[in-house]
Amino acid sequence: MQSVVITVTSGKGGVGKTTCSANVGCALALLQKKVIVMDGDIGLRNLDIVMGLENRIVYDAVDVIEGRCRLRQALIRDKRAPELYLLPTAQTRDKSAINPQQMVQLCDELRKDFDFILIDSPAGIEQGFHTCLAPANRVLIVTNPEVSSVRDADRVIGLVESQEKGPAHLVINRLVMSRVKRQEMLSVDDIIEVLSTEVIGIVPEDENILMSTNRGTPVALNGRSPAALAFHDIARRLTGEDVPLNTQQPTSFLQRLFGRG
Amino acid sequence: MITIKGLRDGLLVIFDQQPWLTQVRELESKLEANAHFFKGGRIAMDVRSLALSRDEIKRVDALLTQHEVSLWAILSQDESTRHTIKAFGFATSLAEQSQPVAEPSGAESEQNAAENTVTEGTDGLLARKRVRSGQILRHPGHIVVIGDVNPGAQLIAGGDIIVWGKLHGVAHAGALGDNSAVICALELMPSLLKIADATRTSSPLSQKRGRIKQPETAMLELQEIKITSWREK
Repeated sequence: MQSVVITVTSGKGGVGKTTCSANVGCALALLQKKVIVMDGDIGLRNLDIVMGLENRIVYDAVDVIEGRCRLRQALIRDKRAPELYLLPTAQTRDKSAINPQQMVQLCDELRKDFDFILIDSPAGIEQGFHTCLAPANRVLIVTNPEVSSVRDADRVIGLVESQEKGPAHLVINRLVMSRVKRQEMLSVDDIIEVLSTEVIGIVPEDENILMSTNRGTPVALNGRSPAALAFHDIARRLTGEDVPLNTQQPTSFLQRLFGRG
Repeated sequence: MITIKGLRDGLLVIFDQQPWLTQVRELESKLEANAHFFKGGRIAMDVRSLALSRDEIKRVDALLTQHEVSLWAILSQDESTRHTIKAFGFATSLAEQSQPVAEPSGAESEQNAAENTVTEGTDGLLARKRVRSGQILRHPGHIVVIGDVNPGAQLIAGGDIIVWGKLHGVAHAGALGDNSAVICALELMPSLLKIADATRTSSPLSQKRGRIKQPETAMLELQEIKITSWREK
């Protein structure tokens, strides 16, 4: 199959981009795909921590770009899945260390060996985001079911469309069905109404995530927790499989707020 | 006389054969009189066959910068002027940019008669899309959006604004001083409405709770923005 570069981004920080990148990467690898997850957040790296591979970093993406090592030397193999690799980023540099053209070249090099290249983008709409967007074939926008994160997702979707990198796909992360039912949280329909973007995954709030992040063991690697199942569904959808979304939705929060007489 | 046209992404200022300084002064007075229309925008200039010196270009760029307008292109028929423009790093053609979508927005009428008028020759911008947070549509004529305008988006029109959809975000009609401009939408729930110099804030939470969704029109009445239901007419 032709290799795909997927950029995972959000606009607002702290919505779960890194968790999503790590877990979708693991889930794709467990589907026997050749996967590399790349940390695009230069200077604030943490994908390696979430993956539990921090202690194995020798070289990073900036070393590759600046010619201090070969690409192969910077790749860290994750032995928990058949073909899963991490390309970490530099912790001591800033976003200007890699420009968009260099990112495209780097990804073109990786395309030769991998089916899926996942880039964990930094939050925001500045240079780091544009660098991570440049090589993308698909863009996953992570959002939480709350107004400020949806607003920032809207802004990012607009930028993705204007760069003609779309269509963007939405990952709705940390949904709590019971709170949606009690109308304390935006529902999936509320979010789609504002963003009118295809939803590729709905990840429920899951207490296992915190522990797995701290331990460096992504839930998708071995868990059958609700979030793990959702990440596996996203991975299958990315490979083209038709997996129905779990969208049992109670009445919408916004409808109730604005609409009713 | 300078003429202002809309491009898909910004404005085009066209100069005629009058002396450069006269026209620059005219541009300056327009920038000052309609600061909220120009502020934050991108401008291209078509100077036709006028020959400009380095200093003249530098000064007009400084003037625009001072009004928070960014100059990105200067179109000129004069060979040496084009060289100078390139040396400054400005584009010399609209190239990949869109063609002008608008004729000059006719004389700004002071009449206060939104009803029973048919206006000819005033062009506008038609957007068949969802306008998202952070996006700005700016046009000296009318703006028509077929689709929703999301919270955080902005529409700035010299003429009327019509939204066939939900209007959240900020809408400014008559931004060049036209008091007769109107704003209408299938669902009018903006965070901020402006017509000419009048402003009306609205909290969708307090305003719309319990109201039936219906098309509404906002227009100026005695210097205040009044919102009426479409059916009441």
